[in-house]
Amino acid sequence: MTRWGMVINLNKCIGCYACMIACKQEHYLPSQVFWGRVLVGETGKYPTVRKQVYPVLCNHCQDAACVNVCPTGASIKREDGIVIIDYDKCVGCRYCVMACPYQQRTFYGDDGKEYFPGQGFTEWEIIGRKLNPLQKGTVVKCTFCAERVDEGIKRGLKPGVDRDATPACVNACPAKARFFGDLDDPESEVSKLAKRGSQLSPEHGTNPSVYYIIR
Amino acid sequence: MVKAYEWMVKCTPQTEWIEKKGVLLWLAFFFIELGAGAYFIGSFFNSPLTRFIGWLVCGLLGGGLHFLYLGRPFRFYRMVAKPQTSWISRGMIFVSLFLLLGLVNIILNLYSITSGVLSALTIVLSFLVVIYGGFAMCCINGIPLWNTALLPILYVISGLWGGAGITVGVAVATGSEHLLSAVEQWTHLLLIGYIILIFTYLLSISYGSVAAKTSISQIVKGKGWHVFWIVVVIIGITVPVGMMVANTQSAPVAILYITLLCELLGDLGMRYLILKYGFYNPLIPTTT
Repeated sequence: MTRWGMVINLNKCIGCYACMIACKQEHYLPSQVFWGRVLVGETGKYPTVRKQVYPVLCNHCQDAACVNVCPTGASIKREDGIVIIDYDKCVGCRYCVMACPYQQRTFYGDDGKEYFPGQGFTEWEIIGRKLNPLQKGTVVKCTFCAERVDEGIKRGLKPGVDRDATPACVNACPAKARFFGDLDDPESEVSKLAKRGSQLSPEHGTNPSVYYIIR
Repeated sequence: MVKAYEWMVKCTPQTEWIEKKGVLLWLAFFFIELGAGAYFIGSFFNSPLTRFIGWLVCGLLGGGLHFLYLGRPFRFYRMVAKPQTSWISRGMIFVSLFLLLGLVNIILNLYSITSGVLSALTIVLSFLVVIYGGFAMCCINGIPLWNTALLPILYVISGLWGGAGITVGVAVATGSEHLLSAVEQWTHLLLIGYIILIFTYLLSISYGSVAAKTSISQIVKGKGWHVFWIVVVIIGITVPVGMMVANTQSAPVAILYITLLCELLGDLGMRYLILKYGFYNPLIPTTT
């Protein structure tokens, strides 16, 4: 059984936000909508302060709280572990937004918001609305670039190895801090790296498919 | 409240269920539980008018506001699809059945037809409607303020207390002294239970995680202090307690209505605080 997952090596991450921007570009995400983010915090007190950079995205949890609470069945966990939303079924109750302890879901309530207010939509925004139409009044989130993964597999490519079958954030990372692949395949790079990594806030008991290598 | 760069780096409040259109959901939960509570208490004390008012408040105000809150309201019928795992789905089924069967029961009662089975069924459904909001919130384990078994109990008591208050109002309006004296004792008991539960709830949460402590701190001495101390404690608790200590039955009618209004305002204030100051724990450690 395939279970797509990601490993992020925080020792390599330089906090450049390339993953965040690549995601926005890939999915033509509207203003104020982010499917991936970079959190920057710090520990300690001056003068021994340590900066911490955590790129975050939907964890595509194995026991996803969002899927469990969705009253319409719009949030679906596919057989390959990717959690997606069927926009046609979503009623916009936002129970999944509440239930996600990682806060990786966004309610898309305003489809008239421009990147440059008062100047109309840019060409990129107009194209995006045709190529990746989001439905106003529904919840949106990271899809692990499921369309790239599916299309790549159809073409005989290997997600995580071949760029055309790999999520945009992984491709864009200049420090090669992100790895994607099948967590259930013991020979894959991600499954080996995941053994060194840890999940974010595992106390929530959702068994995320995104791992972080901290040391 | 939280700056963009502090999002999930520091304790982050939930906003979808209280800000902008979220206000509708806050009011919807309040009216749904208040109306169902009134129907339950009205059935218990055989007050058809209370049952009707409860049904109206639950259906028109609660249901209507909940409908308006949805991002895609005309897909609301889809919300019954997953009762096995989703409390909102269960709640939708309870509310729909309650409104349907409750209306049938009210109409039958108008023609002096009583069906024991139907009445019992609507009473059970009204109770399920009262409890579902608390359960829908308490199963969200990302928000420690909500993730406690005390929350559904608090919501049940507050729903029934509000319902009892409406029954008192109906008894006063219709001049039914028998109903007034019968309900009043229950109102007092529910008020005492409500006070104990509020303080037990807040105290138990204050021993929790960083987000839980932040929530309590914001409610008691932070930005929510005026709502908590003025609306909840003084208006919502002290005034009704004062009326309980005094002899309510001999009080002027206007005072009784003001007390009822204070009860409802206090409950509304408490529900606002619980929604507004529901914080998520940070995702990354911020202190050593």
